[in-house]
Amino acid sequence: MNLTRRDFGKLALAGLSSSALAQTAGKPNRSYINGVQFGLQPFCYHDLAMNRENRPILIQRLVQNGLGMVELHAVWYEPNFALPGVSADEARDKLRNWRLNPPAGYFRDIKKEFDDNGITICTVYINVGDSFTDAEIDATFEGAKAIGAKGIVGSYGLAVAHRLGAFPGKHGMYASLHNHDNLSDPDAFSNEASIVKGLAYSPDFTATLDVRHFTAGNGDCVGFLERHHQRVSAVHLGDRRKNNGRSAPFGEGDAPIIEILRLIRDNRWPITALLEFEHGTLRTGVDEVQLMFDYCKRALA
Amino acid sequence: MSHRHALYLVFCGVILAAGSAAAQTPARPGYDINYIGPTMADPVLQHSKETYVLFGCSYCHGLYLVARGEATDLMHSHLVGGDENGNVIGPLLRKGIPQTAKLSPMPQFSDLSDAQIAALVRWIHYGRQQGRYKEVMEAKDVGPGNAAAGKTYFEQKCVSCHATLPKNNDAAALKAQILKPQALEAAPSWNLDRLNDAKTAAARQRHGALLENYTAGDVANLVAYLQSMK
Repeated sequence: MNLTRRDFGKLALAGLSSSALAQTAGKPNRSYINGVQFGLQPFCYHDLAMNRENRPILIQRLVQNGLGMVELHAVWYEPNFALPGVSADEARDKLRNWRLNPPAGYFRDIKKEFDDNGITICTVYINVGDSFTDAEIDATFEGAKAIGAKGIVGSYGLAVAHRLGAFPGKHGMYASLHNHDNLSDPDAFSNEASIVKGLAYSPDFTATLDVRHFTAGNGDCVGFLERHHQRVSAVHLGDRRKNNGRSAPFGEGDAPIIEILRLIRDNRWPITALLEFEHGTLRTGVDEVQLMFDYCKRALA
Repeated sequence: MSHRHALYLVFCGVILAAGSAAAQTPARPGYDINYIGPTMADPVLQHSKETYVLFGCSYCHGLYLVARGEATDLMHSHLVGGDENGNVIGPLLRKGIPQTAKLSPMPQFSDLSDAQIAALVRWIHYGRQQGRYKEVMEAKDVGPGNAAAGKTYFEQKCVSCHATLPKNNDAAALKAQILKPQALEAAPSWNLDRLNDAKTAAARQRHGALLENYTAGDVANLVAYLQSMK
């Protein structure tokens, strides 16, 4: 199927039942491959500490891998106050104060760094939790919005999601629910029922289906997408084995990566495929990401 | 020299030469030297390290056991500290830890061979020993040590093998000898005389386990006690 960039934008903005999902798709860019917008979860560069100082290297690597979209952890742009001699509580307070009073133009400059390199920040990954004040949650959305993200995503559970539901709409954004495979924790997003329950908390929620974890939790990724694609903004695309199995290189686990990509392509779903791996490799992160990306390109050829 | 003995010597020579060559080999294609580090002189340890990386352990637990995120700190885990030749770690790896309060349960590695599990265990203990050695050596504000406490520790952990000890008043030398006894530091060998030296193997195992569990205070107390011996 050949889908033009214009088509992609139209599809992203039209005919979707969820107001939240209508905001998820960005402008297609250089990692829009045969109908699927790819991006990266930059946890992949295992050797690269996620902090502000390493952001230029991150950008350089994304360009090297031919990726034009990224799910950016907040730690790539927020200062780290957890320094020697600073207590955890003190560091947390300083971070909150920083979020509430960021330097003028700070986010605009960061957005420009990525824009100048042809990279769109689709979402900001941040684990909103009980320590966040309401004002801090609002500030988090505003910061994410200012760097160009359409939403935030994080590893929080049902309780935090219940509280979070009222916030994204105020900022014209969405919040995405990300699953792990902890089937023993009733608060965790781990299976279809828990994700569906969370999505019901707010029309401004989407799901970021972590394919690896969903597979490890013996979930049916294809079935989930068939049933809930209208509420899915992204997939974390990687491979793992069933039954809480280990992460594996693409094609060596049980995750239906090829099927998922073709579902997205053939149904023209505006679901971003964010490459992510936690499997081991002796190769560099850049080399491994390239192998994964090439695997996906072959799946869509 | 028997024909078989000669063959063993040739074999050992090849292994040692390979290890030596590997230590000098520059980065090879597909090997992230910046992350994994230069090839180690001991090919068994190098293989163990690569196995640890390949199965994703380093992703969460850190190549040198400095954990990322919510992963268990293997450097200070009591479970790892109590492991002997994989008797605790091995079964845990095979089953994983599905019931947990953490976001991501520890995966199970039931598909790995015994040799692969053994390699992972070997690297975990090696990494822990290196890390704990560094921690104890660099510890500050430990104080002079309590000889009575050192005596108690010695009687509980050491006396079964060390009925007597050579006198040594040099605290730094004693500390180094406690942490890494020189007699056990010999390079690995497949020579049958050493391969089947059960006494040295047991001593190495025992001292490795002690090193993995010493606190800086334990070592200071032991030094104080050994210095006090007449």
